Amino acid sequence: MSRSRLAYSLAGAALLAARPALAQAADTGAASATDAQRTMLWFVLTTLVLVLMVFLLLVVALINWMRPQLRQLYDLPTVHDTWSGRVLGLLVGDARLVQGEVRDELLDHDYDGIHEFDNDLPPWWKYGFYATIVFAIGYVTYYHVLKTGQLQGAEYAAEMQQAALLIAATPDDPNQVTTYTALTAPAELSSGKSLFMTNCAPCHGASGEGKVGPNLTDEYWLHGGEVNHVYKTIKYGVNGKGMVAWKGKLSGKQMLQVASYVLSLQGTKPANAKPPQGEKEAPAKAVASR
Amino acid sequence: MQAEPLAPPAALQQPLIPPTSRPAVDTFFYDNKIVRDFGIATVFWGIIGMLVGVLAAFQLARPELNMGTAFTTFGRIRPLHTNAVIFAFVGNGIFTGVYYSLQRLCKTRMYSDLLGKLHFWGWQLVIVSAVATLPLGFTTSKEYAELEWPIDIAITLVWVVFGWNMFGTIARRRERHLYVGIWFYIATFLTVAVLHIVNSIELPVSFLKSYSLYAGVQDALVQWWYGHNAVAFFLTTPYLGLMYYFLPKAAGRPVYSYRLSIIHFWSLIFIYIWAGPHHLLYTALPDWAQSLGVAFSVMLIAPSWGGMINGLLTLRGAWDKVREEPVLKFMVVAITAYGMATFEGPMLSLKNVNAIAHFTDWIVAHVHVGALGWNGFLTFAMLYWLWPRLYKTELYSKKLATTHFWLGTLGIVFYAIPMYWAGFTQGLMWKQFNAEGMLQYPNFLETVLQLVPMYYLRGIGGLLYVSGVFLLMYNLYKTAQAGTLVANEKAQAPALVPEAEDPHVQAGHWHRWLERRPFQLAVGATVAILIGGAVEMIPTFLVKSNVPTIASVKPYRPLELQGRDLYIREGCSNCHTQMVRPFRSETERYGEYSKAGEYVYDRPFLWGSKRTGPDLQRVGQKYPHSWHYNHMLDPTSMSPGSIMPPYPWLFEQKIDYSILPAKIKVLRNLGTPYPAGFDQVAVDDARQQAQGIVADLKKEEIEVMPDKEIVALIAYLQRLGTDIKVKPEQTATAATAAAQ
Repeated sequence: MSRSRLAYSLAGAALLAARPALAQAADTGAASATDAQRTMLWFVLTTLVLVLMVFLLLVVALINWMRPQLRQLYDLPTVHDTWSGRVLGLLVGDARLVQGEVRDELLDHDYDGIHEFDNDLPPWWKYGFYATIVFAIGYVTYYHVLKTGQLQGAEYAAEMQQAALLIAATPDDPNQVTTYTALTAPAELSSGKSLFMTNCAPCHGASGEGKVGPNLTDEYWLHGGEVNHVYKTIKYGVNGKGMVAWKGKLSGKQMLQVASYVLSLQGTKPANAKPPQGEKEAPAKAVASR
Repeated sequence: MQAEPLAPPAALQQPLIPPTSRPAVDTFFYDNKIVRDFGIATVFWGIIGMLVGVLAAFQLARPELNMGTAFTTFGRIRPLHTNAVIFAFVGNGIFTGVYYSLQRLCKTRMYSDLLGKLHFWGWQLVIVSAVATLPLGFTTSKEYAELEWPIDIAITLVWVVFGWNMFGTIARRRERHLYVGIWFYIATFLTVAVLHIVNSIELPVSFLKSYSLYAGVQDALVQWWYGHNAVAFFLTTPYLGLMYYFLPKAAGRPVYSYRLSIIHFWSLIFIYIWAGPHHLLYTALPDWAQSLGVAFSVMLIAPSWGGMINGLLTLRGAWDKVREEPVLKFMVVAITAYGMATFEGPMLSLKNVNAIAHFTDWIVAHVHVGALGWNGFLTFAMLYWLWPRLYKTELYSKKLATTHFWLGTLGIVFYAIPMYWAGFTQGLMWKQFNAEGMLQYPNFLETVLQLVPMYYLRGIGGLLYVSGVFLLMYNLYKTAQAGTLVANEKAQAPALVPEAEDPHVQAGHWHRWLERRPFQLAVGATVAILIGGAVEMIPTFLVKSNVPTIASVKPYRPLELQGRDLYIREGCSNCHTQMVRPFRSETERYGEYSKAGEYVYDRPFLWGSKRTGPDLQRVGQKYPHSWHYNHMLDPTSMSPGSIMPPYPWLFEQKIDYSILPAKIKVLRNLGTPYPAGFDQVAVDDARQQAQGIVADLKKEEIEVMPDKEIVALIAYLQRLGTDIKVKPEQTATAATAAAQ
């Protein structure tokens, strides 16, 4: 039992030791890697791991085979209570080292018939406690004495920086009007419709008739009715008037699909339409003329 | 944990003191009636508290179960559930066990029958007043401390009565040394007193309204110092004390290790008190306080497990009895649940785990493993063990008790697994980005609707669990009928000889000295529990850099304040947080993360602890007034499928301006910089702001009277989190104007 556990932990330690090498190799490899090199790397690593495992198995088998002799060695009084002796004790599976000596000697205590033993603190518990104390001291030291660890503000900044690297930089100036043309393909409009239903219908009505938000089916627009203006309104919202910014919630493509779907509702005259708001615009007003 | 067969040691049979030196034997009577009364109250309130919990559980699955009245809405029902199960069920359970065991461990009757009666009826009165006020919306909103100031005072008085009776009994003991159970009782009494008083300091505005002495970050720190240690010193230490009495009694085995009990007692009470900030990881609480919370939470594993292993190892040689005896079955699961919950707690305190688990149902699962497993099952074990002894008869049906055990266990499984599932699901959905770098689930509701099936299952788990308690009630009732109450149980014990003549005194461990001196022990325990709180709180209060102020953050306008008090009354913070954590997934979803300086006028703080609905810290100005108007009237109109209950009464009830001037005065006294004499004009200011909102709503074709509560609530919601936006927005507009 304890032997197999030992084998696992040793294997784990070997893997941990191998990890930095692996990461480095992957780093340098990735830049100029050809597939052959990568295959070679994996081959070498796998072989290494296999060799280590065989080695470990041999060690375990050796310990198992030599157990009686090791046991004798462990039982020598000059060895038994030394540190190396204890390691040996763990190897030969002396349970006392983990759970403590259970003497079960009663104390001179009697509380309403309840008696007490005074058995040792189980070593696994005691050393576990020490380990958590070491962890706690290390934790506070790492973050607040050495100041190596990132506290939440720095962690957030790093996360945002990383995100900025991953996401293609798009010009993000709210005053920059895009130059899209409205989509007309039925597939695009139907995606636009389903997005509209989940995200826009609560405020603008299922048919765009307007509820909390304005009617989207008439020719009157508060923030421009040309597709790029609708797109912009969707993307950045209208602060203070309740139009939510969908940037970050919908992708550029999705916003264009919704904008195109909205424009496809022009003139549908749904029931319960909200009265017109804003300025009247011809549907296909060009951007350049503004 | 192994079942080594162990012959009962011969020493047990031998008298501990040679017969020649035996002093005169006193005859006295234990008071069993008070134990029985507390026991009945435990079962009664347990059933009520759990049924309310089942209702709350199903309300999350089916919003129509909010039943359309203010009094039965989740935001008011949930605090009723938590208060009832913690203070009424577990509270009465503590007193049942303490009143039974303390008399026997001290070999004396309780100090005063009258104090016992005062304690019993006083505590029930506190509970009744909670049942009366919480559904009516009288609440401080601070979790597990929701009761308003007059009830806080009543709790303090009853607690003093309890302590008086307990220390009186200890003073009259016929047993030289205090048993480990009593150390835990003493620590419980002292720490709960300190926690309750410090956390409840508030300035009354009227008979049932007050404002917390602390604001924002400081209030949050005090509250979670309290909240965490309510778990520690109301749900854990007293129950460890009960375990140390009832487990060796029921198993007939000696306690495994005296020295383990010493080490784990002192380390537990010392370390527990520091761990509160782990409820506030990644919030606006200063980093150093958060880190202390993490470090001490990790160190809590061993002290907690010390209790678990001392309990489980005490059962060595009695595992065969566990197969037969439902009392022991309950105890084994209780102690195991304690071990699981106290290992999970420290793991949840690690920041990377907390980042996923916090604000989700994972936490709900975690506390219920502790509450249903540890507290519930230990209570049931104790009651099944006690009743035949109180009534001098056999338990009516062991079979029924075993059925209860399996129903309860199944209930815990059905409760916990769906909640863990829900927690992981939601925690991961909130954080999921797609390949384009956008939130995979930008619509919060989508993450909620995923959980509804889990909410059903958890409700079923709760039903299973509470149905077991009905079996318990029936079993205890039949047991009581079969026997007669031994109201005064005859007992004999030798009187205490002077310490110098006591042969026990010389021998033994150094800790024995302390066990002979309740006063010194109490002082030691008090010092141990004061250190952690002091180290965390004093700098947060006194060092200014811990709460950097923000110039643009201004006090609430009177109407907003009224709206905020409605938010508190309706218990919105039971489901909505006001704390955007510094994660990209949260700033993308909600906006800028929360800063300590934003909360300096928040009395009490309303950060919340569970996000059943989305965070509201940045909801101000996000939607038009009409959105909120429609949403509060019928949440599904704006969020199709929403599980939020409607709040129609806000559209009928008028804003209560009568105590507004008093509110302003109290807040001014607490340091909110309202100008002098502002209380005189506050109502006018509120009415003026209300007119503005009404006019805006009118543009959206919504007609509402300016004195309706909904107007105040809208005013508050639209203000939320907007103060720090003021500057950048103005500069942005200026820049735009300049560009054109």
